[in-house]
Amino acid sequence: MTNRVLPVVHNDRESEARTPSQPLLILPSEARDAFDPMPVLPPVSPREADLTRIAPGRPRASGDAIVVTGRILDEDRRPVRRSVLEIWNANTRGRYSHIRDLANPAPLDPNFYGFGRATTDDDGVYRIRTIKPGPYIARTDIGWWRPPHVHFSLLGGGVRLVTQMYFPNEPLNEKDYIHMTVPADERSRTIASAVQPDVFQFDLVVRGRFQNFV
Amino acid sequence: MTIFTPEATLGPFYPGVFALEQMPHDLSRVTPILAHRPQGRPIRVSGRFLDALGMPVPSLIVEFWQANAHGRYRHPLDQSGRPLDPQFDGFARVRTDDDGAYTFATIMPGARGARAPHLRLTIFASGIDRLVTQIFFDEEPLNETDPVLCAVKDPDVRRRLVAKKTGDAEFTLDIVMRGHNETPFFDDWAR
Ligand SMILES: [Fe+3]
Repeated sequence: MTNRVLPVVHNDRESEARTPSQPLLILPSEARDAFDPMPVLPPVSPREADLTRIAPGRPRASGDAIVVTGRILDEDRRPVRRSVLEIWNANTRGRYSHIRDLANPAPLDPNFYGFGRATTDDDGVYRIRTIKPGPYIARTDIGWWRPPHVHFSLLGGGVRLVTQMYFPNEPLNEKDYIHMTVPADERSRTIASAVQPDVFQFDLVVRGRFQNFV
Repeated sequence: MTIFTPEATLGPFYPGVFALEQMPHDLSRVTPILAHRPQGRPIRVSGRFLDALGMPVPSLIVEFWQANAHGRYRHPLDQSGRPLDPQFDGFARVRTDDDGAYTFATIMPGARGARAPHLRLTIFASGIDRLVTQIFFDEEPLNETDPVLCAVKDPDVRRRLVAKKTGDAEFTLDIVMRGHNETPFFDDWAR
């Protein structure tokens, strides 16, 4: 087996400066065990799964409200239960409510923070409500626009995964340097399917033989 | 054959609120209002995350995972019979500051068979996919036999995994993500 070399994202200065140049080392068998991180998970309130309202009684965020839902399965196709998802995305104009998103001229939405959490149920199913994010320009000098996407971070249930979900039929998908680091034959696995105009299904399959102890 | 969900960078706009408020970042104390403390020797590990140009990497998330003072992981598959410490879970999430600096307060993890005391790091930052490595401690006799350290053949490279002792309970190690003095990283997909 050959050691993996992590891909550098073309034209992404942070990726060029931060991605290890050396192949990843294989852990010796004596050091391979099941003791992947098992964090004590924070309590998640169901309200955190609705990003479209920052508090009850506050106006709904602007843009198109959508549902993102799906199942998280392990490599043996067992549901990953009680995994906590952290999700975040830009607002309808492509702006993050993040202290570092300064260069972006698009306006903030006072009714949208753009991050939330959800927990998978016994079938590994999660469901969040958010606003369909707008595209945003990542580098003005080369005209690199990022397609609409939702970030996912999973922890608990014996898994740890960070990924990005893309939307179907977005012309920018094929021009995005981050999306292009995913091998072409795996790219469809990062694109949600529209099961209704405002409901997107995004299933995840995660590595690891030792899930589901929570 | 199962095809897995590809991983991606979390950057550049990971919400700091997840890192700062939702997860423990100091494992050496349980809570300020309890008199109890985790068993073992409190230590602090600090350093900086640096890129290929020697520039600090701010807003990087590093998750630590470790055994308790007895070498026991709080994990259902740890059948070692070593005692659990009710005051110690072993998981923390830390975020680097604008100088790329991290500080992690914890207790010295116990040894485990041939495994020297070590911390397991999972690293997330804008521009990179998840990175995994381990940190060891200066002057630990088991470092000589630890299978992970021994798997790194070049002694210069091996040293990049060993935190230097800078005080009674203080250790320091810089993590270089790319370039000169690059830290070795591991593949946790390969089992
Ligand atoms: Fe983004």
